[in-house]
Amino acid sequence: MAGFRGTTEDFVEVIRAENVSKIFGSDPESALPLLKQGKSKDEIREETGQTVGVNNASFDIEPGEVFAIMGLSGCGKSTLIRCVNRIIDPTAGSIFFKDPEHGEQDITTLNAEQLRILRKRHMSMVFQHFALFPHRTVLSNASYGLEIQGRSNDERALRGQKVLDMVGLGQWGHAYPSELSGGMQQRVGLARALATEAEVLLMDEPFSALDPLIKVDMQQELKKIQRELQRTVLFITHDLDEAMRIGDHIAIMEEGKIVQIGSPEQILVNPRTEYVAKFVEHADPTGVITAGTIALPFESDAFESSGERDGIRYSHHRDHPQIRYGRDRDGRLRGVTVDDREVPMQQLEQVLDAAEGAEVSRLRDEVAITCSEGTVIRRVLRGRLHSTLPVIVTTADGRAQGLIDDPELINGILEKRGHTA
Amino acid sequence: MGESLEFLRTLMNDPFGFLDIPVRQIITDIVNWIVANFRDFSRTYISPPVRGVMNSVQWALSSIPPGIFLIGIFLLGWWAASWRIAIFSIVSFALIGFMGVWDQMIITLSLVVTAVFFCILFGLPLGILSSRSDRFYAILRPILDIMQTTPPFVYLVPAVMLFSIGNVPGLIATIVFAMPPVIRLTNLGIRQVNSEFIEAAVAFGSSRRQILWKVQFPLALPTIMAGLNQTIMLSLSMVVIAAIIGAGGLGLEVYAGLERLNIGQAFVGGIGIVLLAMVLDRLTQGLGEKAPGVRHKAD
Repeated sequence: MAGFRGTTEDFVEVIRAENVSKIFGSDPESALPLLKQGKSKDEIREETGQTVGVNNASFDIEPGEVFAIMGLSGCGKSTLIRCVNRIIDPTAGSIFFKDPEHGEQDITTLNAEQLRILRKRHMSMVFQHFALFPHRTVLSNASYGLEIQGRSNDERALRGQKVLDMVGLGQWGHAYPSELSGGMQQRVGLARALATEAEVLLMDEPFSALDPLIKVDMQQELKKIQRELQRTVLFITHDLDEAMRIGDHIAIMEEGKIVQIGSPEQILVNPRTEYVAKFVEHADPTGVITAGTIALPFESDAFESSGERDGIRYSHHRDHPQIRYGRDRDGRLRGVTVDDREVPMQQLEQVLDAAEGAEVSRLRDEVAITCSEGTVIRRVLRGRLHSTLPVIVTTADGRAQGLIDDPELINGILEKRGHTA
Repeated sequence: MGESLEFLRTLMNDPFGFLDIPVRQIITDIVNWIVANFRDFSRTYISPPVRGVMNSVQWALSSIPPGIFLIGIFLLGWWAASWRIAIFSIVSFALIGFMGVWDQMIITLSLVVTAVFFCILFGLPLGILSSRSDRFYAILRPILDIMQTTPPFVYLVPAVMLFSIGNVPGLIATIVFAMPPVIRLTNLGIRQVNSEFIEAAVAFGSSRRQILWKVQFPLALPTIMAGLNQTIMLSLSMVVIAAIIGAGGLGLEVYAGLERLNIGQAFVGGIGIVLLAMVLDRLTQGLGEKAPGVRHKAD
């Protein structure tokens, strides 16, 4: 099982949903041909009286990633997640699941016994309203799945305690759920889902019922646990910021259909439909959009050459001829001069580490700060507190890619557009 | 013309004269047939276990010295409910003793305990079955209605014919009359369990049996206890009626008192029943609130 989580090469995806549809009503099959014709939810309801829950949803979830499904209430996201563990039976489509024992299997074809094994060992679930058993103690709730797996009392107590410690509730094992706050209850819900060591964690709006502050706490907690355990998580939410904070990939649903799938940054920078764009409008981009996306490339025509010396070519932005950037033949940054004076270069990480806890001075140094292309805008902004010079963005292979100055930052935050977009 | 008018008039004035359903005769025949064919069966297979349980309970209860009994009832009240109920219970039982009907109370209590034992023994499984099958409950429901609403006097005589007089037919009549609430409220309690708990249990791979015993039943317990409370009250209300066919205890005290126009004796029995009923009611209510499912209703 350990090998399963470790080797991503053998398993391209853990879950692959293909054209999953769910229609509610007296005669679901009657609506399927209309779905194929691409009719809308309202049209289908008018013609057949059936309600479309999920409309031809397809997606892949890679091992160890958090895959977030985002949409408004009634868009079918809770129905879709329940199709994955067959609490709801999909009307059409297939959901393939790869597990180390059985290889790939289509969940929609499993019989009752196989389904129970799937739910016992391979998939666990966290619910919006916690759904903790009120008559059981916190410990006994956390170890419920182990009880169903038929583990011994000792093992249950041990493992239950371990997962409670993991979510920070080690002291609360003997309390009852009603004695806990909402956030603590959901920690128990999370512990219960982690205890079974299922590879896949289904989370149905797990933090939606929590206060905003607690919610952020829980998101960080989940990220921390996820770094450690690397489960594959299917995460449902109606909050785009949450999806962006937690998800490695995000699928956006509208009226039962998945309208866009992509990384948080792809969705933010390049929303494919009006609907997605409307969501994205109010999202906070500073933690999502990266330096590489907004940087003004050295190759663009905003830069002019300012000569060559010792094999290093210098260039400057046409609005700021006094600042020159020297790069070698491989494109690596070799020096920055202001009014022909060499200025020190420093990596953003070092600048921020050194400044941590210190009071911010209004007098900024002249330091050429460099950052990698994957750095989020928020950190670049913080770096701006320490230097008056633009931030230089470098690629993974060490090339200097471009510059971030105020226009790039403002454009990135307000318009959510990269330079090249 | 005149003839058909005449016919219409007769039809309107006495529409029942045309058909006579001999229900009386039919039922008499049925009862006679049952008595003739099942008398031996019921006396060999039904009476002995009922009488056996009744006698054991009565033996156990009457072998407790009344002083110890009083202390026990006090502690039970304290544990199950509160110190108020504990004091109320000990005072009530002491009063029964001071009125001189302690032994009769023990017999009545044994009758009630025995009846409730059988009500749970059959009622609980029937209630669980009802909660799992709509069809089963649809069949059972009219039977429960009949059991609860038929005046007990009606089946008292057939009970005597089948089981002869004494405590046993009284007990059988009591069980028939008092069982429906256990069935109904077990069914209701299980069906009422919030579906989110069921969903959570399913999501972790629980089987139907596991869902029943690990989730539904414990969460239904407060409701089931309410049913049990009703069953106890109903069986207490039957003890006077059962006295008519020879059951003993406080009921007999009332019945005998009335027969001899000894109003005082009848009232002593009556007060004893009331006190016993109130104590049992408070104790079972206290137990119901102690049930773990009460701790939390999903918010």
